[in-house]
Amino acid sequence: MLKFHSVSKRFDDGTQALSEVHLDIPQGQFCVLLGSSGAGKSTLLYMVNGLVTPTTGQVEIGGKMLNRANIKSIRRTVGMVHQQFNLTPRLSVSMNVLSGALPFVSYLRAAVMWYPRALRERACRLLAEVGLSPEHLPRRVSELSGGQMQRVGIARAFMLEPQVLLADEPVASLDPKVSRDIMVLLRDEAKRRGTTVVCSLHQPELAVEFADRIIALKGGKLVFDGTPEQLVAAGLDSIYQHDEPKPAPSHPVPHVAPQMLEALA
Amino acid sequence: MKPLSPPLPKDWQLTPPWTAKHLLMGIALLALLAFTGSRLEMPRMIKEIGEAIGYSVGLTEKSPVATGLARIGHSIFPIQIAEVTEVSRIENFDRENLPLFARIEIQETRTAHLNTETLQMETGVEKKEVLVEPVGYLKIVLVKMAETLEIALWATALSILLSIPLAYYAASNYSPNKLTYFLSRSSISLLRSVPELITALFLVLAFGFGPIAGVLALALHAAGFLGKFYAEDIENADRKPQQSLEAIGAGKLKTLWYGVLPQVMPQYVAYNLYILDRNVRMATVIGLVGAGGIGQELKGRFDMFHFGHVGTILVVIFITVLLLDQFSARTRKKLI
Repeated sequence: MLKFHSVSKRFDDGTQALSEVHLDIPQGQFCVLLGSSGAGKSTLLYMVNGLVTPTTGQVEIGGKMLNRANIKSIRRTVGMVHQQFNLTPRLSVSMNVLSGALPFVSYLRAAVMWYPRALRERACRLLAEVGLSPEHLPRRVSELSGGQMQRVGIARAFMLEPQVLLADEPVASLDPKVSRDIMVLLRDEAKRRGTTVVCSLHQPELAVEFADRIIALKGGKLVFDGTPEQLVAAGLDSIYQHDEPKPAPSHPVPHVAPQMLEALA
Repeated sequence: MKPLSPPLPKDWQLTPPWTAKHLLMGIALLALLAFTGSRLEMPRMIKEIGEAIGYSVGLTEKSPVATGLARIGHSIFPIQIAEVTEVSRIENFDRENLPLFARIEIQETRTAHLNTETLQMETGVEKKEVLVEPVGYLKIVLVKMAETLEIALWATALSILLSIPLAYYAASNYSPNKLTYFLSRSSISLLRSVPELITALFLVLAFGFGPIAGVLALALHAAGFLGKFYAEDIENADRKPQQSLEAIGAGKLKTLWYGVLPQVMPQYVAYNLYILDRNVRMATVIGLVGAGGIGQELKGRFDMFHFGHVGTILVVIFITVLLLDQFSARTRKKLI
C-alpha cells in the first residue's frame, strides 16, 4: 500500500532529517512512529502527501510513485490529522468538516459554501461517529475543547475517504484521558474502513496499546521496526537518546539566611 | 546596626532603560522643530492664539484673529434653513397648490433710480411676491447629502471589488510569480499615492461635472488602501489551517476562501467601514472640484458669500459623520 524506497532528506540548512529509510506498510495497518523530537517523524509523514520532497529515494502509494505530475491526485487520497488540529477557528464545525472534501467540489459550490447532498450527509454522519452532537454543527470551532477539536479534525480527515491517513502527533496537546479516547476513535474509524494509518506519537504506552506495528526513528535512521510486544521486550532505551546531565547552575546571589538570623538575634 | 544583607555583587546592577543616545535624539528632534518652526512662522501663530485667548477673556485690547473668527461666526449663524424664491421666477406657478408648509410673502425693497424727465434721483418701493418654504433649503442640502452618501457607498463597493484581485496578486504567498507580485504591489502604491482631489480634477475633465468622476476618484484611491491591507492580512494569517487544506490538494483559491478569509474577516469588515467613513468625508470635499455631491453646493455658496447657507451645509455634514460613526461602531461590534 505505502512504500518508502530508501528515502533521505537533507534540508537546505544542512540538517540530515532522514537517511535511507526503507519501509513497506500494507493496507489497513495501524502503524505508529516513535522517536524523540527531531528524529524525522514529521519529515517522513510529510513525504507521503508531498509537503516534503525526498532528496533521494521515492514514495509509492497504491502502486504509484509520487511525483510532481500526480501529486494533486495523490493528495486527494491522503487524509491528515494535525497536532494543533489546524482547523479554521472562525469557521463553523460543519464547514470545517466539509472543507475536508474541498478537492471534490466545484469552485462555485465552494464559494457559496453549499455542498452536494451526499457530502453534507457524509459530514453529519462522520460528526456523529466521532461523538459530536447536532448542536455543535453551527458552532465555531474556537468554542470547542481541545478533544472536541481533534474529533472535528478526524472527521475532516475522513471526508476524503482516504486510503492513507497521516496523524502528526494527534494527541500531543491533549490530556491523558482525552488522548486515549482520541486514539480509540482514530483506530476504530480506520479499522472499520480499512484505512492505512501512519501516526507519530510521543507516548510509548499509547503506541504499545494501539499499534499493529511500531517503527522508531533516531537521528533520521530506522532503529526499530516490529510489533508492540517486540518493543516491550527490547525496551525503550534503544529509541530515545539520553542527553548528558547538565551540571547544576551555581547561584550568583549569596545566601542571606545566616545574616538575617544574626540581625534578628 | 548591621545592614540586613550584604551588598549585591557588581553584576547585579540595574541600568536605566535610556542611554545618552536617547537624550541626543531628543535634543536633535527639538532642534529640528525649532528650525522648521521659525520658517513656518510658528512663533507668530503662538503669539496670535495667545492674543485671541486673552481678548476673549478681556485681557488684551485687540486681536485680529478673534475679531476675524467672530465675523465669520456672525455671518454663518443663524444658519439658513428656509428657501426664498421670487414667484415671478417660478415657471407654471400654481397659487392654489403650494408646496407643504410654504407661504407667499410680499417683500418690499427700496430702489433708487434716475427720473429721466427731472434728472433727479428718486427712491421708490418695489414690491415682490416671494414663495417662502420654511425648511426648503435644509431639504435641498439633505438631498445633496444623500447624493454624497450614495457616491461614498458606490465608491466603497467599487474599491472593494477592485482591491480583491489586487490583494490576491499582492500577497507574496498567493501571487503566482514575482512579476505579478511586483505589478500589483506597484499599482497599489500608485493608486494610494495620488490624492482623491487630484484624481477627481482629472476625471472631471474626462467625464464632466457630476458624481461619476467623484465615485471613480474615491474608488481608485480606496482600492490602493484596501489592496495593501487585504494583502498584508493574507500574508500574516495563521498558516496552520492553510497547510491542512493544501495537504489534501484543495488548491489556492479554495484554501484562501476556507483557510484565510474566515480568519481575516473581522479586520476586513473594519477596513471596509473605515473606507466608507473616509469616503463620506472625502465625498463632501471632492465636490469642490465639481465631482458631485454636497461639496459642489458648498463651493457655490461659499463663492457667493452665502455664509448662512454654508453654515447649514457644515451642520448637516457634521451630523452625518457623527451618525455614521455610531453606525460603523455598532456594525463592527456585531460582526466581530
